Amino acid sequence: MSGHDGADKADGADGSDTGDGNRTTGTDGGSLGRVTPEELTAESPFTLPGFFAALAERRLLGGRCTECDTVLIPPRPACYACGSREIAIEELSKTGEIVTYTEVARPAPAFEADAPLTIAIVELDSGARLTGRVAADYDAVEIGTGVSLTVRDLTEKEREFALDHEEEWPLHVFEPT
Amino acid sequence: MSFPRIVGVGSSPAGESELTSRDLFSVALAEAFAELPDPAEIVDGLYVGNQSESYEHQIMYGTLLAEWAGLRHTPAERVEGCAAAGALALRHAVRDVRSGECDVVLACGVEKMTAGGTAGATDALSAAFDRALEQRSGITAPSQYALLANRYLHETEATEADLAQVAVKNHRNAAGNPRAHYQSEIDAETVLDSEYVARPLKLFDCAPVSDGAAVIVVASEEVAADLDGGSPSDSDAGTVAVTGVGTGTNNLAVAERDLTFVEGAHRAAGKAYDEAGIDAEDVDVAEVHDAFTVCEALLAEAVGFAPRGTGIESALDPAERSAGWTDVEMSTSGGLKARGHPIGATGLYQAIEAYEQLTGSAGDRQVEGANRALCVNEGGVADAVTVAHVLEAV
Repeated sequence: MSGHDGADKADGADGSDTGDGNRTTGTDGGSLGRVTPEELTAESPFTLPGFFAALAERRLLGGRCTECDTVLIPPRPACYACGSREIAIEELSKTGEIVTYTEVARPAPAFEADAPLTIAIVELDSGARLTGRVAADYDAVEIGTGVSLTVRDLTEKEREFALDHEEEWPLHVFEPT
Repeated sequence: MSFPRIVGVGSSPAGESELTSRDLFSVALAEAFAELPDPAEIVDGLYVGNQSESYEHQIMYGTLLAEWAGLRHTPAERVEGCAAAGALALRHAVRDVRSGECDVVLACGVEKMTAGGTAGATDALSAAFDRALEQRSGITAPSQYALLANRYLHETEATEADLAQVAVKNHRNAAGNPRAHYQSEIDAETVLDSEYVARPLKLFDCAPVSDGAAVIVVASEEVAADLDGGSPSDSDAGTVAVTGVGTGTNNLAVAERDLTFVEGAHRAAGKAYDEAGIDAEDVDVAEVHDAFTVCEALLAEAVGFAPRGTGIESALDPAERSAGWTDVEMSTSGGLKARGHPIGATGLYQAIEAYEQLTGSAGDRQVEGANRALCVNEGGVADAVTVAHVLEAV
């Protein structure tokens, strides 16, 4: 069901460590069932703490709808495209291309020091799209530019504006390839 | 079906004001009830559209404004949906009257956006974006729409100069609207020479930060007849019925939506047309959510006024537009762009413009023969939530 089975698996990570053990598409064992209340711990990639914990380890986890193949970043308990609640977890490729972009002349106070910011919507190889900063000037990229998702810790300034539970969540930044 | 009637409208002028939200509401209430009995005699419920408590550090606007209207003990609540809160309040009022549960319900909206300056508004509006991936990337409201604009310019023949024409047209309309934030016309050069806020959008592509409050009195057909139309501005005017309502949501994160087709608005308008038994080409005047110039183009296409890729022609005279365009006049109030955009009240300012057009009381802005209006109010960057209403002269 997935074009990414195996190829992008975590580097030696044990799936059960992130709570996604029996939900990796690699098991390919028929119905996964719906996510249960017991699964939804702070270690599960179906929750933001779990998703960002994996991202901090440089693993981009997505949900893949087993009904319609839509990829969901971050993973969530139901597919927005078809409504199915049978969602598999898989590690996704971090490369893709810019679908649209802009330059933020006056960002929010937390990011003023970095202004102007280049921000893009990127479509990853998996088909999933997400918004993020681009580590390049506006004039250095265009629609179609290839990028790779990198991960870094928050700066001291960003940490000031983060909520307590977000302080250890890393930030994703796209770098042109 | 018996269609709810609008029997009174009122607003403060949109713009920067010394008044607080409750005071602005008092202004709107006084206008709306100028020729009606006291609210306490007729009103069964009240909804208040309001975006953010961060401007005035105040929630509980349902309770507060009920009190201010002399409606203590009346059911009242705040409605939240970012910039769609006003039309959501109207939807709730219409639903309560349609169901027969209430005879008269107030749809209200208030926002004191200027309270925290530009930085305060930037921060308050950013709360409408997905916290997990969007907010943390430093994106702002103009830059969210700039992402849509850049893609639109990429996929169509439209240019930044075309976007500027939407601003010119809407400023021209606002110049004839006493409720408007901007009362002066501008030329294309002014737009094109203004600084980039988020490329390709410039300062004059953006709606202003406005204070404002609006009130719409929704009544059952029977009570409206008893009130003898109740028009506050022209006792000879006909009345206005709300004949169609549509609403729905799309993904919160913009990246996960169709970037050049506003699906939520397409669906909401389609539902409203179906309820009213009309088609897009039957709409004479439309107030759409032109928070940024590109929105008017996108929404013209989404609600069926324009073929894909030609929505940018909204600023042209109907006779000059591409084949397939309807002859609708868009944003006759000046739109969010120039009438102003007091977030939680905006959807009600839209309905007030529709009301004035349909009762022939729009003054210099009057579109001759306007019988049907569409209002499209959106919240949370484009169509994260959309409410569409069809209003008709009856």
